[in-house]
Amino acid sequence: MEPVLVPGPTAGRPDLRRLPPRTRSTRYHRPRAPFCGVGYCTNCLVRVNGVPNVRSCRYDAAPGDVMTVENAWPSARFDILGVFDVLFPHGIDTLRGFRRPAFAVPWYQRVVRRLAGTGAFPTPSLPPRPAPGRSMETDVLVLGAGTAGRAAVETFVAEGVRPLVLEREPVPTPIAGAECLGRTTAVFLPPPRESGPRPFELIASVSDGSAIDVRARTVVVAVGGYDASLWFAGSDRPGVVTAEGAERLHPAVRPDFSHAVVFGGGPRAFQILERFGAQTDAVVAPGSIDPDVARKASELDIPLFPRTLLLAAVGRRAVRGVRLARRGGDQPPFRLEADAVILAHRRLPHPQLFFQAGAQMEWRPGVGAYGPVVGGAGATTVPGLFAAGESAGAASPDRARESGIAAATSALAPGPGSRPTPSPPSDEHNELEGYYQELLTAGPGPGKVVICPCEDVLLGELLEATERGYRGIEVIKRYTGVGTGLCQGRYCLPDALLVLALREHRTPREVGYITQRPPVVPTPLGAFAGLPDEVEATP
Amino acid sequence: MNAPERRTYQVAIIGGGIVGLFTAYRLLRAGAGPVVVLERGFLSSGASGRNGGGVRQQWDSRVTVRLMREAVQDWKQFGREFGTNVWFRQGGYLFLAASPAEVTRLGQVTEAVRSEGLDGRLLEPSGVLRYAPSLSLDGILGATFLKTDGTLYPFPGVWGVYEAVRALGGEVRLGVEVTGVRAEGGRVVGLATTGGPVEAPIVVNAAGGWSGDVSRLAGLSVPNVASRHEILATEPLKPFLDPMVIRLSDGLYFSQTMRGEVVGGLSVPHPTGTRAGVPTSTTFLRTMSRSMVRLVPSLAPVGVLRAWSGYYDDTPDGFPVIGEDPRLPGFFHANGFSGHGFMLSPASSKRVAQAVLGERTDLDPALFSPGRFLDPHRSTEAEGLQPG
Repeated sequence: MEPVLVPGPTAGRPDLRRLPPRTRSTRYHRPRAPFCGVGYCTNCLVRVNGVPNVRSCRYDAAPGDVMTVENAWPSARFDILGVFDVLFPHGIDTLRGFRRPAFAVPWYQRVVRRLAGTGAFPTPSLPPRPAPGRSMETDVLVLGAGTAGRAAVETFVAEGVRPLVLEREPVPTPIAGAECLGRTTAVFLPPPRESGPRPFELIASVSDGSAIDVRARTVVVAVGGYDASLWFAGSDRPGVVTAEGAERLHPAVRPDFSHAVVFGGGPRAFQILERFGAQTDAVVAPGSIDPDVARKASELDIPLFPRTLLLAAVGRRAVRGVRLARRGGDQPPFRLEADAVILAHRRLPHPQLFFQAGAQMEWRPGVGAYGPVVGGAGATTVPGLFAAGESAGAASPDRARESGIAAATSALAPGPGSRPTPSPPSDEHNELEGYYQELLTAGPGPGKVVICPCEDVLLGELLEATERGYRGIEVIKRYTGVGTGLCQGRYCLPDALLVLALREHRTPREVGYITQRPPVVPTPLGAFAGLPDEVEATP
Repeated sequence: MNAPERRTYQVAIIGGGIVGLFTAYRLLRAGAGPVVVLERGFLSSGASGRNGGGVRQQWDSRVTVRLMREAVQDWKQFGREFGTNVWFRQGGYLFLAASPAEVTRLGQVTEAVRSEGLDGRLLEPSGVLRYAPSLSLDGILGATFLKTDGTLYPFPGVWGVYEAVRALGGEVRLGVEVTGVRAEGGRVVGLATTGGPVEAPIVVNAAGGWSGDVSRLAGLSVPNVASRHEILATEPLKPFLDPMVIRLSDGLYFSQTMRGEVVGGLSVPHPTGTRAGVPTSTTFLRTMSRSMVRLVPSLAPVGVLRAWSGYYDDTPDGFPVIGEDPRLPGFFHANGFSGHGFMLSPASSKRVAQAVLGERTDLDPALFSPGRFLDPHRSTEAEGLQPG
C-alpha cells in the first residue's frame, strides 16, 4: 500500500484534495481514476486515518492525515491483482462458477471472499462512538440551495417566513432571512405522518459524521440532478469523466487533458466547450448538435461528429483515443486520438426523496428517467411536498428560478390546492434508446464493457440474463448485481433500464421503476446511532 | 423452454418464492403431473429476495434442529444439483446472551443441538473473541457457537430452483395474482386469477406473508400474522467477520456476505399486515445502528448503503404449517415459516410434496398440521428462537 502523509497546512491548498490520483476496481482490479466529482462514484475511495471508503473528492485533508489506497497491492499503479482483468476477458461467473469439485468449494469461498469488498475494517486512531446528532423543527424546509432552492427561499423570506435550508455543498455566503446548513445531505424522507403540525420527518447526514432530524410542515425539494454516465468499451477507464467531473475535480486529481472528446450536443456540451474549448479536439453527439454548440465549436475550430456512436475508449491506464462510427452502420469505424472523454449528453434528476416520501413517480421519456408527478406549481401527489428546479423538470437556470418561485408561492397559498395528475403515457422515445440499439447491433469494443463500475458488472452479464428469460429491472438487478454498489445505481441503472427495454421489446416504463432504497447517500452507522431519541413534535 | 400455458393442472401453487418453487420442483421430480406456480409480483419480490441469508441448526426444539440439519446438507449440494451457486459459507452462528436467563436458554439450545449429533458449543464470554474478534463484550455473559451453521445468497437459490422447475416442464406464471379459491362439493377445484381461471384439484398456499390473505380467500380463518421486519446493508468491507452474530436481548443479527457487505436486522416487528407496503422507518435506522455500534464500536464510521424490509409469516407457536387443511380437502398449506422459510425450504418442501402426494410425512401433526390450531388442547411446545 502507498500511505501518504498529508504535509503542512492545507489552507488555500486545494491540491491536497488530490489524493489519490488512481484507484482499482473491486472485481477485476481495473485501473480507475476519479470520475464523477460529486461524491457518488467509487473511483476516488481512500482509507483516511483508518476509516475505509472515504470519498477523497469530498474530503478536506488536514495536516497529519494518513491516506492509503484500498483494494490494490502493492499499489494502485502496479496492482498484481490486475491480472484478473487480463485472464478473464469475458468476466468471472460467480453465479454459475465455483461449484465443483465439492472439496474445493471452501477454498473457492476463501479466495473469492478475500478478493471482494473495498476497504478494510476500520481502525480509527480515535476511539469511535456515535456522533451526537440533533433535532430541529421548522415550518418550511428547503432542500438544496441552488438556483431553484434560492429562488424559493427568497419567495418565502419576502412573505415573512424563515425557512431552514439544507445544502449538500459548502455554503460560503449566508442566505438572508434563512437558516442555511451546508455540507448537509438529506438522506431519508419517509412518508409524512397522517396528522400533526409538522408531519414530515427528515434525516440529514452532516459532513462531520453526525446526523440531524428535522420536523417540518412543508418541504420544497430542489436537489437538482447530476450528469449521467454512458456505456462503451472502456467507459470506466481513467480519463473518462462526467461533465461535473471535468468541472469540479481539481486538475491535480483528474487525469489532465488537452485533447478531450466532448460527448453530447446540447446545453451541457455548450457549457463544457465554453470552459474547456481550448483543450477539446472533437464534439461527438448521439444525435444532432444544437446550433449554438456548432457555432461555438466552429469558432474554436473543433470538428463535429453528430449522429455518431462512441464504441470504445482506447488505452488501459489512461484514455489514448476513441473509436467512433457514424450511425446508420454503412461506414467503417474510425479512430480519433484523445486523452479524455467528457460525458455531457444528459442530466438526470435526483428522484430518491420523492420516491421515499411516497410521491407518485412517472417516466419522463425526454430525460429518460423517472421523476415525481408534478403539478404546474411544483405540487407533488404528497400534500406539503413540492418539487422545484431539475426535480420539477426545469432544464435551464431561468426555468429553475421560475419553478422555485412557483413552488414557494403554492406552498404559501392557503388551502389544499389542486392535486397534480400524471401525464398520459406517450410513445416518445429517449434519444439514447435508438443510440444504444445501434450500439448493441454494431457491438462496442474491443474490450470489456463495464455497465456497473462499482461492482464491475459487464454488459454481457446483463444480456445473458435477458437471454435466459429474466425480465424486469428489479429481477435483473438481483440477478447481475447491477445497481447494488456504492453509487447506489446512479451510474448504471438508468442505462441498464434502456438496454433492458430494447432487449425485452417494451418501453422503459414497462421494464419497471428503479427502486431507490434509503439512505440517499451512504450514511455512517454512527450518524444514525447518534440521532436523538424519538420525541413528539411540539405543537 | 416453457410449456405452453394451459388451464388444467394437477397442482397449482400460490407463491413463487423459494417455498413454492421448491415444492413445485419436488412434485415434478416425483412425477406429480402438470404443476403451475402463480406469482403475483416478480421472482424474489417477497421475503425470498429480502431475507438475510441465514442458515442455522441451533433451535429450541429438536425437531427443527433435525429438519435444519437435513437442509444444511441440501444447501451444501445445491450448486451441484441446481447449477447456480448460492455461496453457502459455513462460518458458524454465534448467539450472545446478556442475562442469566438467556445463558440458561442457550444451554438448553446447545443441549438440543448436541443431542442431534451436532457440535454445538457453549462459550464463556472470552471464547467469543476467537470467532468474532471485532466484538465488544460489554454486557455479554455467555454464548453458543455451531460452526456448521452459515449464510448464503438467497437470489441464486431462487434462480436455480426456478430454472429447474421450468426444465422439468413446470410452469411459473409471473405477475399473476390469485383473486379467489374455487370449491365445489366441499373440495378445491381451482383458482380465479388475474390471468384467468386455473383448474386444479390441489392448491398449495405458499404465499409467505400473504398466506393469511390467501387462506381467507378460501374462506378459512388462520392464525398467521404478517409482520414487517427491517434490514440494512453497509458498504462492502474486506472480510472481518466469519459467523452470523445474534444477540438474544434485542434480536440483533448480522453477518458479512461474500461480497463484503454487513447485512443485518433487529427485532422491531411491525404487525401491520401487508397493506403498509415495505417502507423503512427512522426508528429502525436509529435502533439498529445503535445496537450494532454498541456491539462492534469500530463500525461507527462505516456507511449504511441501503435499507429495506419484508414480511415474516408468523404463527402463534413459531412452527410452520404444512399439510392439507381439514376444513377444505385439496387445499394445502406450506406457510407460517415465521422468518425461516428460506433456510428450511429444501427440507420442508419434501414434506409438502409428500403430503400433496398423499404419502406419510415424518412431521408430528401436533406441531405442523394446519388442524392443530383448531384443537383447544394442542401441544404447548413452541419454537421461539426467532432472530436471524
